[in-house]
Amino acid sequence: MLTRRHFLSGTGAGLFLSGYPVHGFTKNTIEGRIVVVLLEGGMDGLLAVPPIGDDNLFKQRKALVASNPLKLNPLFGVHPNFENFSSMLLNDEASIIHATSFPYVGRSHFAGQNVLQGGMLAPFSIKTGWLGRAMEIANIAGKAMSLETPLIIRGANDFDNFYPARIKHSRLPSFETLRLIQSTHESNTAKVIEKLTKNSMKMGRVSQARDPLSLAAEAGRAMREKDGPRVAVVKIPQFDDHSEIGTDTGHHPELFTLVDRTFGKLKSELKEQWSNTIVLTMTEFGRTVKENGSAGTDHGYGSVGLLAGGLINRSSVIANWPGLSNKDLYEKRDLYATIDYRSVCAACLEAAFGLDHDVISERVFLDKSIPRTYGHIFG
Amino acid sequence: MSDNKHKWARKVGFGFGPNELLPARVESWNDKQLTSTFNTVGVAKRYSNVETWPEDYNFSFEDRLRRAHEFDEGKKEIEKSKKLTRFEKKKRVRTLKDQTDVALFDVYKFWNSAIHGEDMVKQRLTHFWTNHFTIGGNGRRSYVIGDFIYRVIYENLNSSFEELLYKVTTHVGMLDYLDNADSVGERSESAKWARRNGKMQGLNDNLARELLELHSVSPDRMYTEDDIRNSAKILAGWGANTDTLIRKFYREQRQNNSTIGSLERFIQEPYFRDRAEPGSKIVLDKKFRSGKKSLRQLTTMLAHDDFTARHLSRKLAIHFIGESVSKSEIEFIYNVWKNSKGNLEEVHKEVLNVTARSNGRKFLWPSTWMFQAIRFSGSNFLPGFRDNLESDLLNNEPKKILEELGNSFWESRQPDGYSERKDDWVSTEHFDRRIKVASRIYSFQPDRQGEEIATLLDFSDNTKMAIDKASNMRDKFIVALCSPDFMEV
Repeated sequence: MLTRRHFLSGTGAGLFLSGYPVHGFTKNTIEGRIVVVLLEGGMDGLLAVPPIGDDNLFKQRKALVASNPLKLNPLFGVHPNFENFSSMLLNDEASIIHATSFPYVGRSHFAGQNVLQGGMLAPFSIKTGWLGRAMEIANIAGKAMSLETPLIIRGANDFDNFYPARIKHSRLPSFETLRLIQSTHESNTAKVIEKLTKNSMKMGRVSQARDPLSLAAEAGRAMREKDGPRVAVVKIPQFDDHSEIGTDTGHHPELFTLVDRTFGKLKSELKEQWSNTIVLTMTEFGRTVKENGSAGTDHGYGSVGLLAGGLINRSSVIANWPGLSNKDLYEKRDLYATIDYRSVCAACLEAAFGLDHDVISERVFLDKSIPRTYGHIFG
Repeated sequence: MSDNKHKWARKVGFGFGPNELLPARVESWNDKQLTSTFNTVGVAKRYSNVETWPEDYNFSFEDRLRRAHEFDEGKKEIEKSKKLTRFEKKKRVRTLKDQTDVALFDVYKFWNSAIHGEDMVKQRLTHFWTNHFTIGGNGRRSYVIGDFIYRVIYENLNSSFEELLYKVTTHVGMLDYLDNADSVGERSESAKWARRNGKMQGLNDNLARELLELHSVSPDRMYTEDDIRNSAKILAGWGANTDTLIRKFYREQRQNNSTIGSLERFIQEPYFRDRAEPGSKIVLDKKFRSGKKSLRQLTTMLAHDDFTARHLSRKLAIHFIGESVSKSEIEFIYNVWKNSKGNLEEVHKEVLNVTARSNGRKFLWPSTWMFQAIRFSGSNFLPGFRDNLESDLLNNEPKKILEELGNSFWESRQPDGYSERKDDWVSTEHFDRRIKVASRIYSFQPDRQGEEIATLLDFSDNTKMAIDKASNMRDKFIVALCSPDFMEV
């Protein structure tokens, strides 16, 4: 019988179960920045950050374990495609949270994405996102690098999009005409057109590219400006593959490279602001521990979160490892999530916005029971 | 709502253009829209008259499959080459795509049907159901999307949901899009063979999950993971990707198998016994025997489930009435669904009845808004399908514009389809595109100008004032189209 491993870089697993109440409001004076990288489709956390010290990994997975992961400690390795991220780990500016998830076990992409963006326990129960609510409290502006405004950022007072149009022979009409269009709309819609009008008057060339990497670069550039947004949301879609997802090479590993280069690009474009930044990935669920019949994995529960940025002082892999033997799995198939990812998001908000943990748990996640993990990630 | 005929035609269709006659009675127009058969039409040259859609642009299922195969094979050859650079490979694949393309013709049919079709209500319903049963993709799947839209969805608008659900589930586009083509029963002959040879084959539950979650009963039904797994077992054996299927067909043909029939028939019901899971399966407490027929029994059970009636009644109501739809409005549709056992003609009729009585306002999808803007204004924005004399290729702007608006049925996207909620379509970038598209539409000589549009559609005084203040005709037009009075109906 395999005993459960408790691997934790901090002082003990028990800390995740209750928060330290800290009174007072804004603690820091730095203008922290947050970039959320949404990995849409469910990233396979066991392929990205394989627990190579757990023998059951090799019993459960025949093919889907990278042949030469970078060994981080006795239990965990990281897929070799995470080159930039690995050097950030060595540099004490990145961390990994494993066996984590939002509290959602339904295995639906859409409900899962709604939970992780809305930040509520029940899907489709709120019209704003957790990041948007925090931005509203802290009065911080942000930018979504997508055509639509993702739920996660809704609720903020000041947000914008960036996803340049490609329509030939077409440009926006005059400032006056845009104002007239705005005057016909109400509330939020009017605000959006007002923002568009302002953007249209800005001078200078912006990149027209729309791939995730170029958008991340644009986000970094905007965020290093003096009055630029302090929040950005970048999407990396297409993790939703179920067949032949790849081990050393292939679709999932290619996406790892993309995520990795996104981290690299954000660092190089944020320049001196990198030291005030935290980048965090989010995915709606992990994948099944076992492979399915078509060399892929299906919808699961626990996954991994990747964190990088100068706000981190000391790299660590933070996990309360649940184990991978059949009896350790959720519903005999999925990696358990033993860390509530909301608590990780809360710590990032605390680090970047200087909001008090109690304010975050009560007014952002509307749940007082969220434990405080700040000390483990940013201590 | 139905007092203003112009508004009504926008509510359930695409609006009456400047040269269209208004119906004498809305009720009989509604009936005719739902029950008549119509010809497909299109414009060959920009600024010329509408004519019958050319036969050579209607691709048979077989034709589509052959072209998809040609593309797949050719692409493999190009990618294998060691002489070509990556850039040259990309260029050659693009040329090959152009030579074998079908999707662009389908996109033209889609635009022409919305802008010139006499069957505007059926077209709107087609858009709704195509979105409900999302498939998408630019590569291999793009060849069969038009077949899915016109032969499966459009042709079944007057049949039952039971029939539609089965046809959609067994369509090669859906089987491919949701990975069922890769799903093999774990105890099937094929999987046994694979295991003996050190290979891996097994179930993939992607289609099974969405069949329950999105296409029929919805999570409200509280099904279990076992229900999904067993549905996947019933689905195992259905589908293989088009390319594998076609190669199998040609192989059989070469071996002079006289019973093989046509390619079309071969792929119509792509079921492979050697990949199917033997034994009975239980889904939602009902037992299904093994064999090909069990899928029809499963989709029939799901189609007639009470939760499916609730899910679809709500979705239809929100699509036409908007997010403010009331419980009782949904209930009317639900009752007809139940009483008629999901007879879609009856259900659609009730959707129109309820919509006619409702005051709800719907924020239109960008594509619906654009088609309405073109049709109602009489703009000649859409290029003719024979405009491009130098080559056989069509101008690809219509396809690109739908992608720019974030609302193309040919794009690869998530299986839950395009949102029905206004919030999902309001952003600076979305408005940037709406305004730019409105300006493009104006560039092609619309018959109706901003002020006339505002009068015919009873715009609010506030919006009329804004149009009045705009300094030139183009800007007046843009203000009219980008006002809430035109974006919502």
